[in-house]
Amino acid sequence: MIGDLKELTKVKLKNLDKIFYPTVNVTKGQVIEYYITLAPKLLPVIRDRPLVLTRYPDGVDGGKLSFFEKDAPQGTPEWVKLKTIFSPSAKRDVHYIVCNDLDTLIWLANLAALEIHMPFSTVDNLDKPDLLFFDVDPEPPATLSDAAEVSLLLKDKLRDLGLTPFIKTSGKKGLHVVIPIVPEHSFEKVRAFVHKIGIDLAKESNIVVSEFKDTKKSGKVFADYLQNSPLRTMVVPYSLRPTPEATVSTPLEWSEVKKGINPSDFTIFNVIKRKENPWKAIFEKRCNLEI
Amino acid sequence: MTQENEEEKIEEMTESSERVSAPPPKRSIWSGSITIGLVNVPVKLYSMIYDKGIHFHFLHSVDGQPLKYVKMCTKDDKIVPWNEVIRGYETSKNEYITLEKGELDAAKPESDDRIRIIKFVDYFSVDPIYFDKTYALMPNKNKQAYALLLRALEKQNKAGAGRITLRTKEYPALLHAYKGALVLTTLRYAYDVVDPQDFEDIHKLKEPEKVELDMATKIVGDLTGSFDITEFEDTYMKRVEELIAQKVKGEKIHIEKPPEVEAKGLMVALRETLKQLEQK
Repeated sequence: MIGDLKELTKVKLKNLDKIFYPTVNVTKGQVIEYYITLAPKLLPVIRDRPLVLTRYPDGVDGGKLSFFEKDAPQGTPEWVKLKTIFSPSAKRDVHYIVCNDLDTLIWLANLAALEIHMPFSTVDNLDKPDLLFFDVDPEPPATLSDAAEVSLLLKDKLRDLGLTPFIKTSGKKGLHVVIPIVPEHSFEKVRAFVHKIGIDLAKESNIVVSEFKDTKKSGKVFADYLQNSPLRTMVVPYSLRPTPEATVSTPLEWSEVKKGINPSDFTIFNVIKRKENPWKAIFEKRCNLEI
Repeated sequence: MTQENEEEKIEEMTESSERVSAPPPKRSIWSGSITIGLVNVPVKLYSMIYDKGIHFHFLHSVDGQPLKYVKMCTKDDKIVPWNEVIRGYETSKNEYITLEKGELDAAKPESDDRIRIIKFVDYFSVDPIYFDKTYALMPNKNKQAYALLLRALEKQNKAGAGRITLRTKEYPALLHAYKGALVLTTLRYAYDVVDPQDFEDIHKLKEPEKVELDMATKIVGDLTGSFDITEFEDTYMKRVEELIAQKVKGEKIHIEKPPEVEAKGLMVALRETLKQLEQK
């Protein structure tokens, strides 16, 4: 049996019985199986992007070690594609992992990289974002349901501007609205555009705030524009999150975005069974941003 | 007694003669008296429980030198000497009240040399969940008083309930007979033990069908045997011990791969995904 497995992937899988999500009893093997199953939907979106990982070698139980990883770890196989980018803050080269194939994705899962994050631009055009990002982030007691309401307002606004927004749950408490764009503008310009939309939205809805200083006001929903910056990231669509219920950042159809939506409705157990991929055509519909 | 029975008996005896136990400690950790009303039984207290484990030292991988811990100030990362360390209690995030050593010492329980027995109880009426650590009590000078108390407890299967102060902590304790000796088991306080009924999950239990219960009862019945603690061992520790023994002898260590796991689900998923990716 294991001999066959070796023929199917270059990755040497180990400790498959290890529990990664103790509350719902999900093993490392199940996590790898999940990423393998979702690979056809996930790989096209993360293609050619320098990735940032959060690794949970002992699973997600409270207090267990986890770490953020940008640099490819020691022992990275030579077949894993890397992109070297100089980090001005660390004053050294950082070797980012680029995941364009199934084996690399399996290798990441085998490293216990439960969470995968990606920037809004690709390796060959790092300074020009090809995705525009709204982080719709509710501050309790505001909930995902409130974030859904705000996202629907946002969708109408964006469609009025001739844009094609896509949406996913963050896997935690918020929603992510993303627009594929032709990579021709600087991050600065795109960020200003996203910020302006947030300001307009805040004028129309009294639960929306558009400024970072207001984010801690309880019951408000922040339309966060700040991530639209070089090498800032969002959690990738279909990435697992380190929540006790093993929630997933799940791409949704706009028709699924409604009041009463609950983040724990989207977990490793049911996302693996979702047939359709609402983000399937995301890069076939790149918008020209007129700014 | 028939021949067969005799053989069985012999077998049983050889089995039980292979005792597995830890060596007795050389030094007592406490001496004092068991006090029951006006009666005193002088005893010495020995540890009976080992937390056996393998202890490793941290070394610097570069030069093999042992490492030590230092206390560092979180503000300027400077090493702080012990005489500048005081105790603080966090009252809210990043806010502390400090306590002087003298203040803490004053609050410590009066360290006395008594095991104060308040009453006698049926040994089996004490829920073992409260058992903390067991100590052997050995007679100190007066063996007669010790023997008298031991036999009296053995005869009635009773245990003395009381308290003892060890170092700075006061424990509820149970004095009882075990394998022909007096032992003392310190107990946990009621507020340190969780009641499983306080978990909500336990309240949703459904009563099983009779047929199912009969089946389960039969399985339990079929697998019933007598309990033998020596059937259990820490396999990880044993392997590490073997590893150390080999290293000491200078043998080359052969790292064995963990046993392979059934990866059927993974293979199915892999085949399906590879097929899908090929179609693109």
